Amino acid sequence: METEFRALAELCEKLEATSKRTLMVSLVAEFLKHLRDDEVEPAISMILGRAFPRWDQRTLEVSWATMSGSIKRLTNVDWKDFTKAFSKTGDIGAATKIMFESSRIQRQATLFEKPVTILEARRSLEAIAETSGYGSRERKECLIETLLGEVTPLEAKYIVKIMIGEMRTGFHEGLMELAVSKAFNVPHDVVQRASMLTGDIGEVAAIAKTRGREGISKLQFQVFRPIKPMLAQTAEDINEALKEHGGLTAFEHKLDGARVQIHKAMNKVRIYSRRLTDVTASFPEIVRLTREEVKASEAILEGEIIAVGKDGTPLPFQHFMRRFRRVHDIEEMVKRIPVELFLFDLIYIDGKSLIVDPYVERRKKLKEIAGNIPLTRQIITSSPREAERFLGEAINKGHEGLVAKKLDSPYTLGVRGKRWFKIKLSLEPLDLVIVAAEYGYGRRHNWLSDYYLAARDSESGEFLVVGKTFKGLTDEEIKDMTRRLEEAAIKEEHRRVVVPPKIVVEVAYNEVQKSPKYKCGMALRFARIMRIREDKSPEEADTIQKVRKIYEKQFEKKAIYR
Amino acid sequence: MFKVRMADAKFLKDMISAISILIDEATFDLTSDGIKLRAMDPSRVAMVDFEWQKTVFDEYVCGEAMKMCVNISEMMKLLRRTGKDESVELSLDEKTGRLKIAIKGKYTRTFNMPTLEAIEEEVPTPKVTFNVRAKTTTEGLREAIEDASLVSDHVRIEADNEKMVMQATGDIMGATIELKKGSDALLDIEAKEASKATFSLSYLSEIVKAAVATSDIATLEFSTDMPIKLDFKQPKEGKLTFYLAPRIEVE
Repeated sequence: METEFRALAELCEKLEATSKRTLMVSLVAEFLKHLRDDEVEPAISMILGRAFPRWDQRTLEVSWATMSGSIKRLTNVDWKDFTKAFSKTGDIGAATKIMFESSRIQRQATLFEKPVTILEARRSLEAIAETSGYGSRERKECLIETLLGEVTPLEAKYIVKIMIGEMRTGFHEGLMELAVSKAFNVPHDVVQRASMLTGDIGEVAAIAKTRGREGISKLQFQVFRPIKPMLAQTAEDINEALKEHGGLTAFEHKLDGARVQIHKAMNKVRIYSRRLTDVTASFPEIVRLTREEVKASEAILEGEIIAVGKDGTPLPFQHFMRRFRRVHDIEEMVKRIPVELFLFDLIYIDGKSLIVDPYVERRKKLKEIAGNIPLTRQIITSSPREAERFLGEAINKGHEGLVAKKLDSPYTLGVRGKRWFKIKLSLEPLDLVIVAAEYGYGRRHNWLSDYYLAARDSESGEFLVVGKTFKGLTDEEIKDMTRRLEEAAIKEEHRRVVVPPKIVVEVAYNEVQKSPKYKCGMALRFARIMRIREDKSPEEADTIQKVRKIYEKQFEKKAIYR
Repeated sequence: MFKVRMADAKFLKDMISAISILIDEATFDLTSDGIKLRAMDPSRVAMVDFEWQKTVFDEYVCGEAMKMCVNISEMMKLLRRTGKDESVELSLDEKTGRLKIAIKGKYTRTFNMPTLEAIEEEVPTPKVTFNVRAKTTTEGLREAIEDASLVSDHVRIEADNEKMVMQATGDIMGATIELKKGSDALLDIEAKEASKATFSLSYLSEIVKAAVATSDIATLEFSTDMPIKLDFKQPKEGKLTFYLAPRIEVE
């Protein structure tokens, strides 16, 4: 018998209600055990807030306008009530549930009514994804309304969440791997490895259920199924990397672009981002290059794509982003923002996986097949001085820093370990002042967890916002901060409170970017709060003049985009 | 080969009109015994179950069993042209796939229309255990429903062994219509247990309004919060039955 979608919604509701991980894992494991074979993958994808498995490139293409229009028509309520429900819960799914509950005192049944099953929900999502072209918005609406029209408010909550891809139950992929291991009696490390290889825990679980541990152990790479990349930890400095790697290691330039995975089979080439999204369409020249140069009929390669200025030096990251995931006027952008590919790893070639081969071997093989595609610059050394010089060269060329790679290290899919270290010249942290804050979403919807950070203008004395962050503070600190800010609030607008500049925080960031978003014309990239500086007064905070100096210094080594 | 004749065209017109309230495209099953149709409206809220034995027709020839699908509102347009004391003849040209409709009276006109690809889906009969069975005059039922339609878009029907009560509550006005057992409207009622269910009046009144032309006696069967079955007794050998899903309270 098919499992009802209602069971999945009830499970998610229980997950949302708890933060106990072991409880979450056993709830999900128990649920997975009772599914039919063909329900395992769809159920797992949905619990993780995905309409389809991760490797599947289909998307629903349903805008919030379409979705909210359908909710409006189905519930027939005043839209102000939805806004109210949303600001109360901070969650679109939960607000939808409230709307469904308050409006549908009665609903029209159909003649052969039966509860929506997990597989039917998946089929509806497939139908929505497959609708395209002229009139597709109306057809999508019709499909959404048919699905939402047949379900209870609780089910509607989770259907909407799956459709917008935000589950917010706190049950993430790592926990799902534990649940799959528990449900189907397969060791956790075996599940983890298989999940990395295939890029999708749902498929792994389905195989675990039908073919057990043996089936899972046999899983191999498949071209055009992106895999999770190996990640690097941050090292303090060169000495730490050398020490951890036993005194001798390989250093590569760390480029400031986008890390990509390139899959090739005969003449077909696809490019995937670090987050496994297909970005092939944005880089036609890289596709051509790979096709012409790479000497292998099948291969999975890794590299970095960077934007380069007229003189060949790298452009700042933000210009590069204008190329990424772009779908319109691509040929025009190919000319305006030229990019270059640098390869650095080879994971699979002609039916053979290289992940257990040592790094040096993979790099050697990569060099053999890369044709005229450059590899990232690399040295192997035991000398800290030579490494420092190499780091200086990287920075001088406008790159981010270095990656240290242990010579005999295998390619550990999806793992952030000590086998790879990234080393950067860090920018000094800034002391900034909180001038406003916003309530968060989901779990944080009652907390002021998103902070506006400002630097002082030494000329006017005014505090100018240079960034916004919700990162860095612990839950306890956020709660405490919320209380302090709510007391100090001088103005409340929508979900934002404005406070007098009083609290100073130390902020780390990766780069100062040019930005039209703030009055000062600059913004911090990846700002995060390191600590609260109770010892500092707002007058002691860093100035906007200092921020501007840091901004300008970054460009001494980079090409200027015109 | 399919060729039938009916001396009174009005008979066919009223039936097609009754079917047309739920569906746009009708797939008829044609056999040597007669014609049948069972179909749901697109929103799957209501269903029509129709059957005419060959004896209903004055002439009936059907060789091989087949399905014939027509656009029913187009067909209705043509049949509306039939007048009093006129006869109608339907014949299907299997080569061209066109249906010929000849109306004969003061003069003869022959229309032809295309047939469409038949829908293969078989619609099952809803499995419901009915607790109430009420026999009404179709006209009495129509009147009661028209009363309820004045104040609301849905009506609650309640019944026990003595009576059937329709309760309609609108935004401004309300209505209670009571039909007593043995009255002119409610000929008979049996209730295994007292039951109540709510139905959309837009469906209900369309169905009853259309059926009243074909039938004098209606039998209603329903149970609490279950689909209602409305059977309209046909003067000749045939049946016209509708099923309608209820409106239900959301738990």
